[in-house]
Amino acid sequence: MGIHSVGTSDAALVRRVQTGDTRAYADLVARYRDRLGRYALHMLGNREDAEEVLQDAFVRAYRSLARCDDPERFGAWLYGILVNRCRTAGARAARRARRFVYDPAALETAPLAGPDGRAEWDDTVRWALARLPSESREAFLLKHVEELEYEDMARLTGAGISALKMRVKRAREQLQAMLKEAERV
Amino acid sequence: MDDVIERIARHLRRPVQVDPALDGRVMREISALPTPGGVTMVGKAWRWLRRPRQFTLTPLGGLAAAAALAVAVFLYRTDATSPAPPQVVSRAFQFVLVAPRAVHVSLVGDFNDWDATRTPMRQTGSNALWTVVVPLEPGRYHYAFFVDGSRWLADPSAPVARDDDYGAPSSVLTVGGGGDS
Repeated sequence: MGIHSVGTSDAALVRRVQTGDTRAYADLVARYRDRLGRYALHMLGNREDAEEVLQDAFVRAYRSLARCDDPERFGAWLYGILVNRCRTAGARAARRARRFVYDPAALETAPLAGPDGRAEWDDTVRWALARLPSESREAFLLKHVEELEYEDMARLTGAGISALKMRVKRAREQLQAMLKEAERV
Repeated sequence: MDDVIERIARHLRRPVQVDPALDGRVMREISALPTPGGVTMVGKAWRWLRRPRQFTLTPLGGLAAAAALAVAVFLYRTDATSPAPPQVVSRAFQFVLVAPRAVHVSLVGDFNDWDATRTPMRQTGSNALWTVVVPLEPGRYHYAFFVDGSRWLADPSAPVARDDDYGAPSSVLTVGGGGDS
């Protein structure tokens, strides 16, 4: 699976924006908002940061639209911008966390519930995802949630395919270990 | 895929709904920006030039290309024995446009790939003058002013580019080692 669109093609909308029809950009925003929002939310772990990053990515993409060499692949190009913005925001959030709310003991003793209840399962998954190193989380989400091919992931992240496979493998191992531990509690 | 991982992935793949008000916030923010890729004809031409292409060579053409490459390498290696060329030094150039009614002006040219987002100009105190300072190495540059996301203006105080193939007005600036025109 790649990054595709339906209806009026991305390329047609991009060309309309480039010729001054700003409203066409609203269609692109609406088209990609939820899907990119899902990635940002899982990557950053909170809705407020995710929406801020998403808005920033859309505005940056608009500013740089002249540099979108292949309008047919606007979605993939936009995704690349979002991935980068999430990295920056994630690093900023990590610094903020170290400064103000870093509490490893609290994390270690956070209550873990089994996957019986949906809300508890949701908490558990988010807890486990947040404990992954950001590179592993990024690779896992792109591979198993956004269902991208490794070639697409390499283009988006700038990392090599072997490195990405390794990150995904480690992420899976860590998640398995964490979730199994959580189920035992 | 492992059962636990599949369950996690399925859970995370559930659709997420972002606040639709985000669309309005994005549109408000971009409404203050110039049209992207407003680099109309010039931008298109630049992209056309950068697009990868395939060329077909006959065996004879291939031999000729190989011979030309060999000559180029020979000349390069011969030249490589000469002293290192002098260091290229950039000089700062101030570009000025009088545009009292403009809301946004960018300088676009060969030096910034005709990208209207890279060199925005600033209004001076009188609000009629738009200026920007750009460091340029010696060379010949085509440039223009991009006004309010839609209008191209050649520099009224500089020579108009005669060899402009793109249909948009532009000016030309030649930066020499010691002077410019």
